[in-house]
Amino acid sequence: MRNRLAALLLVLVATVPLAATATAGQQANAPLTIYAAASLTDAFRTFDAGQNYSFAGSNALETQIRNGAPADVFASAAPLNTQRLFRAGLVEKPVTFTANRLALIVPRANPAGIRTIYDLRSKPVKLVVAGPAVPVGGYTITVLRKMGLSSVLGKVVSRESDVRAVTGKIALGQGDAGFVYVTDARAVSDQVTVIRIPAWAQPRVRYEIAVVARSSNRAAARAFINSVLSARGQTALKNAGFLPAPKAAS
Amino acid sequence: MKRRGFLLGAAGVAGAVASPWVSVADAATDDDLAYANFGLASSYLLADFYGRALEAGRLGTAARRPLRAGRAASNQHARALTALLAGAGDSPAAAEDFAFEWPQGTFTTAGSTREAGLAVLRATSGAYQRATATSTEPTYRVLFASLAASLAEQAGALTAPVGGAPVVPFPAELDLEAASAALEGYLG
Repeated sequence: MRNRLAALLLVLVATVPLAATATAGQQANAPLTIYAAASLTDAFRTFDAGQNYSFAGSNALETQIRNGAPADVFASAAPLNTQRLFRAGLVEKPVTFTANRLALIVPRANPAGIRTIYDLRSKPVKLVVAGPAVPVGGYTITVLRKMGLSSVLGKVVSRESDVRAVTGKIALGQGDAGFVYVTDARAVSDQVTVIRIPAWAQPRVRYEIAVVARSSNRAAARAFINSVLSARGQTALKNAGFLPAPKAAS
Repeated sequence: MKRRGFLLGAAGVAGAVASPWVSVADAATDDDLAYANFGLASSYLLADFYGRALEAGRLGTAARRPLRAGRAASNQHARALTALLAGAGDSPAAAEDFAFEWPQGTFTTAGSTREAGLAVLRATSGAYQRATATSTEPTYRVLFASLAASLAEQAGALTAPVGGAPVVPFPAELDLEAASAALEGYLG
């Protein structure tokens, strides 16, 4: 009996490392689950189609990770979301990996006759924005405040859950104007007209990315982040209209 | 008493030390903050202009002192407006938030250098004039008027070697849309 137990233990000791190696190997090849800001949809899918993505407003993704969602990587359109998770120990130290700008878009038909952002104040407009907790919604408030146009928030007819929803509504003519990232405007350039927001009124749009602390495949998650930060990753983002991550600390 | 208050206020603005506008941050209207944000970007732009003009050296040795003074004034303006905006709860821009763009050839001759500098000075000064007229808070009015006066002095210093800029009895004030359009090519 004692000999049989010893033999069983020997087999177990011998096979556990093998099993662990096999699991690690499977994980290394398995697609990662990447939670990313909706504005990164086209850029990330083009850059690496082999991962499982979940695109949504960064605030919604933050909440899901906080509630234990099984993500490996979190890429946010605002440092606020990643930094809050970092402070709670739910992600590793985030890094800034790209930047963006805001634009006002109007449907090609432009029924409200909007030519400049200042027309939002003087003309009757159905304005579509993202909710204030969504990064692009917060940036919209910043732009309007910087330009002395906060009063136009009274013309908001719809508050969307992410930037893609804002873009879609304007592209379909369900609103007269909406604030989106320039990268989202590019994706529907045949359906909308882009109205530039002056540089002096632009918010500081910075994207951060981090490994989720509970990830079962942190090595691969880190490798994905490194690939996004690499020259190839940065070129893919640039091709999608994103700006390089600023070198100077802000 | 009124005179004393005026002198104290003027001294505060001139020295940009006490930042009296911070103490009345609650009074800032949307328009005040918009002009301050625009002015802040213009201040960074002007500081960049003076730096490049110094580096290019087309205005001659005699111009180095006024160019340095202009750059120092621009940086002081930026600090004052940053204090105003931060005091009002805004997140003021930093110089690195902008990618300044100067048209090709801007700094290749003395004439093109002065022309670009004057364009920025006039547009910004015009905006400050309008800000002075529209602000309801006396402290901000003093600040905006002081900024406009400083830019007029800078225009004089920049053009002194060529007999000064043309004297305009009533320089045009500009609303934000017009001033913004005037600087769009430079601010990136």
